[in-house]
Amino acid sequence: MAPDESSRKSGKDLARPAKWVTMGVSETALWGECQGSGSKPYQTQVDTGSLAFKCSCPSRKFPCKHGIGLLLLYAREKASFPVQEPPAWVSEWLAKRAEKEEKKIQEAAAPAKPADEAAQARRQQARQRKVGDGLEEVLRWTKDLIRGGILTIPEKGTSPFEHMAKRMIDAQAPGIAAMLREMAEINYYREGWQHAFMDQLLRIYLSIYGFNHMEQLEPALQQDIRSIIGFTQSQEELKTQAGITDTWQVLGKQTTEEDRLVTERYWLYGLETRRTALVLQYFVRNQPATQVMPAPGSTIRAELVYYPSAAPLRALIKEQRPAPPDHSFHGYTGWQEVLTAQTTISARLPLYNDHVYTIASLTPVWHNNQWWLQDAHQQMMPVRKGFRGIWQLLAFSGGEPLHMAVTGKEKEYEPLGIWHHQEYKLL
Amino acid sequence: MQYWNNIINTAMLGTAKKPADTHGLPQGPLLDAAMQILATPALDREDQLLHIAAVTYNYRQSGVQALSSTGTAPVPVCDPEDKPYCSSAAIKALQQALDTDNHILPGLWLEYCAAAQQLVPPDYLPLVLETAYRHKALRVRAAACCGKRGEWLAQFNNEWNFSVVTTSLEDQWQNGTTAQRLIALKTLRDKEPATALSWLRQTWTKENAAAKTELLGALQHHIGPDDAPWLESLMLEKSKQVREEALLLLKKIPEASLHELYLEVLRDAVQINDNGDIICTLPENINEQVFRSGIEKLSSNKNVPDTDYIIGQLIGFVHPRVWEKHFNCSFEEVVQRFHQQQALQPFIVALVNAITWFSDHKRAATFMRYSDTFYMDLLPLLPEEQQEAYSLQYFDKYPTEILEYALQQPATWSPELALKILQYCAGNPYIYNQSYMSNTVGVLPVSMVDQLEGIESQHENYKTYWKSIMMHLTGLLQTRILITKAFPKS
Repeated sequence: MAPDESSRKSGKDLARPAKWVTMGVSETALWGECQGSGSKPYQTQVDTGSLAFKCSCPSRKFPCKHGIGLLLLYAREKASFPVQEPPAWVSEWLAKRAEKEEKKIQEAAAPAKPADEAAQARRQQARQRKVGDGLEEVLRWTKDLIRGGILTIPEKGTSPFEHMAKRMIDAQAPGIAAMLREMAEINYYREGWQHAFMDQLLRIYLSIYGFNHMEQLEPALQQDIRSIIGFTQSQEELKTQAGITDTWQVLGKQTTEEDRLVTERYWLYGLETRRTALVLQYFVRNQPATQVMPAPGSTIRAELVYYPSAAPLRALIKEQRPAPPDHSFHGYTGWQEVLTAQTTISARLPLYNDHVYTIASLTPVWHNNQWWLQDAHQQMMPVRKGFRGIWQLLAFSGGEPLHMAVTGKEKEYEPLGIWHHQEYKLL
Repeated sequence: MQYWNNIINTAMLGTAKKPADTHGLPQGPLLDAAMQILATPALDREDQLLHIAAVTYNYRQSGVQALSSTGTAPVPVCDPEDKPYCSSAAIKALQQALDTDNHILPGLWLEYCAAAQQLVPPDYLPLVLETAYRHKALRVRAAACCGKRGEWLAQFNNEWNFSVVTTSLEDQWQNGTTAQRLIALKTLRDKEPATALSWLRQTWTKENAAAKTELLGALQHHIGPDDAPWLESLMLEKSKQVREEALLLLKKIPEASLHELYLEVLRDAVQINDNGDIICTLPENINEQVFRSGIEKLSSNKNVPDTDYIIGQLIGFVHPRVWEKHFNCSFEEVVQRFHQQQALQPFIVALVNAITWFSDHKRAATFMRYSDTFYMDLLPLLPEEQQEAYSLQYFDKYPTEILEYALQQPATWSPELALKILQYCAGNPYIYNQSYMSNTVGVLPVSMVDQLEGIESQHENYKTYWKSIMMHLTGLLQTRILITKAFPKS
C-alpha cells in the first residue's frame, strides 16, 4: 500500500503511540493527530469502509507516512484507540465522502440518457479510420526498414521509434505506441539485438495485419487485436458479466513505472479451477490507486471476470474477500508441460505475452555464465537476466529442488515465489 | 536455428539487396507456408520477408524446447545446519534492526544470535550478508550466524566470502580471509603471545605486503621483549609499509635496542645540575639512526625550538618508568618534577604521550592524581569508575572529546552521563543530528527509553528538530529492547 520504500519505513516509525497526540476509532473511521515538524499536529484520517486516506500534512505521496503509520498502529495496538464519536474534522470529511457516494449512486440509478447511437457509431468509425491511417503509416515505416535493412538501426538511436510512437498516440493507437517504445529500450550494444528487434517488429506487423484483416479472425482474437492496438474495454461493462469464483493464491506482484505511470501486475492462481489470471492496476505515482488489491502471497476468495481473449489471462476482480491462507501447490511437473501449454496458447493467440506457471521441483543451476532452472527431468530454462531475487532463491534452495511460480515465455523466466516447507514465500 | 538466422541476415541486408527465400527452412509445414508466401504475387518483397518471418516466429514460439542439462555440473547441495534457526520473535527484531539503516543494531542482533548458537533463516541470508559486506565490522559475526547455507551461498558471490565458517582458531588462521585471520591472531595473541608470533613467522614469507602490514597489527597486544629480535629483522623488508608498521611496534618495546638508543640521548639531554635544578640540552652528536627511526629534526611550531621538539618526541617514546631510575625517585615525584621544574614543564605533554604510548595504566592513574590538568588521552587508561567520574567532572569542559570517547566504548553509559551527553547534544542538533545520535543506540542505557522524548533543547528554534531526533532514537532503543528480549538466554 505504501507508495515507496521510504514511506513504508517512515510509516513504520510512526506506528508508535508516542508519536500521536490523539487517536480514535469509530465504526467507519480511524483518526489521529501526529506531531510532525510543523507547529500544529497533522490531522490524519482513514475511512475504514472504503479504505480512503486524508491528512493535513504537505506530503504529495498517497497514502502519506502518517496514514500508513496510523493504520499500522491500529493493526498492532487496537486497544490504544478509544472508540468514540469522530471529531468535527473527521465527521465533516466522512459526510462529504458519503455525499459524493450518494451522488454516484443516484447518478447510477437515474435512468440513462438515451444513447445517441448514430453519434456513437460515427465516433467509432472516426476512431477506426484514424487508427487505420496510423497503422498504415507504421506499416509503411516497417517495410521501409526491411527494404533498407536493419543493419544501421543502432546508429540511428531511439528517435525514430520515439517519433513513430508519438504519431501512434496521435492516431489513438496507444498499444502500438507502447510496442514502439519497447523497441527503443532494446540494448543495441548487446550482441544479438537483431533477434529482440525482429521479434518486436514482427509483433507490431502481426498486430497491424490482424487489424487489417479483422473480419477473417474469430471474435475472441479480434478482441485481442483491438486490445493490443489500444482499444480499451469498459471495466464497468465487464463487471456486469458473470465471473469465475474461486480461491485464488496471489502468487506475486510485478511493478513497473514509466513517466510516473505505475503498472502493477498481480499474478493469481485459482485453486479450484486451476486457472491463472493477471490483474493489472495502473495509477500515477503518489496518487491513490483505484482499487484495493490483494496482498502478494495472500489467499483470497474472489470473483474474477476475464477480459475477452482467445487465450484469457487478464482479468479484473469483481468481488473479493480474504480467505484462510492456502499454501498448497498445484502445477506442472516440468518444462515440457509448460512448453506444451505455451504452444496451445500460441496456437490460439500468436501474440501472447508472459504467463505465470507453477512448476514442481526446480533447482537453480549455474550454466554458461547464467542461472538456469532445472526440472526433475533434467530439462532447464534460463532465469531472466538481472533478476533481483536470485540470492534469496538460492538461499531457500541450498542446491535442493523447490516448487516455484515463474512468469515468462519461451526462453526467459522470472521466479515470483517458491514453496518452502509447505509455505509459499515471495521472492 | 539456422533458418531464423537466415531471416535475420536477410533483414540486416534489406530486401532491396537480398529478397526473401526458403533457404534453410525445414521440410514440412513451415517450408510449405514459405513457398506459398513466395508464390503470392500480391505480396511485395518486404511483405514476403515479413510474412515468412512472422510464420517462422510463430513456428519457433510453438516449438520451444528446454535445454537438456545432461553434462551440466549440478550445484552442490548445501550441508545440513548443525544449529537451530532463531525464533520468529528474533526474526521480527532482525527485520526491524535491518530497517533502521543503522549497522549497530544488526551488529547487536548478530552478536546475540551468535552467543545463543542460533542461525539466520534462509530468507534473510542475502540481506544479512549484504549488510555485512557493506559494514566490515559485522562480517565475522555474520559468518557465525549464517551457518553452512551462508557459506554455501558465498561460493557464488565473492563479496560474501567472509561467511566461510571456521570451527577453530587454527582453521580460521589457515583458511579464513585476512580479516578473519587477523581476528584469530589477535585472539591467540591475547592467550598465548609467543604462539601467535610463531604462527605469523611461519606464514610470513607467503603473505603479501598488505596482509603483512595488517597482520602485524595483531602483535600490538601483549607486545614484549620476545618480539623485538624478529621485528628488528623486519627492517630489511622490501615494503616500506611493512617496515613502518614493524618500527611502530618496536617503539612500543622498552627492551628493544631502539628504546635504548632514545634513552641514551635523553640521559645526556636531561641532567640535574649542582643546584638540583634540571636542565635540558640536546647533545651535539646524536646517532643518525635516531632520526632514521622517524624522529623529526625540525619543529613546525615557531614557538617550540628544534631541540625541545626532538627531546619531546624522544620522551614520548621512552617508557615513563625510566624517569624513576633517572631521577632516582618514585613516579609521584617524577610527575611533580615535570610540573615544578621549569626545564621539564614543556615536556609534560610528552610524558603523557609516553604513558599513553606504553598503555601504562598504573602511572596514568598516578599522573592524574598529581595533575591539575585533565588529559583526555589518559582517560582510557584509568579504571572504569575513575573514567566515569572524570567524564562527569570534565564533561562541561571537554564535551566533544568525552562524547567521542564514550561513543567508542562498548560499555553502556551510566544514566547520569547519558543525560549529560544528551542535554549537551540537544543544544547542537544540527551537529548531533539523527544520523549521529543513531550511533549512541548501543551505549545508551535502555532504562532511558521512556525519558528520551522528555529531554528538550533549550533553544526554541531547535526544539522541534531535536524532538524528532529523540523520537527516532526512542524507536532504535525499542528495537534494541526487542533484540534483547528475542534472545533471553544470551
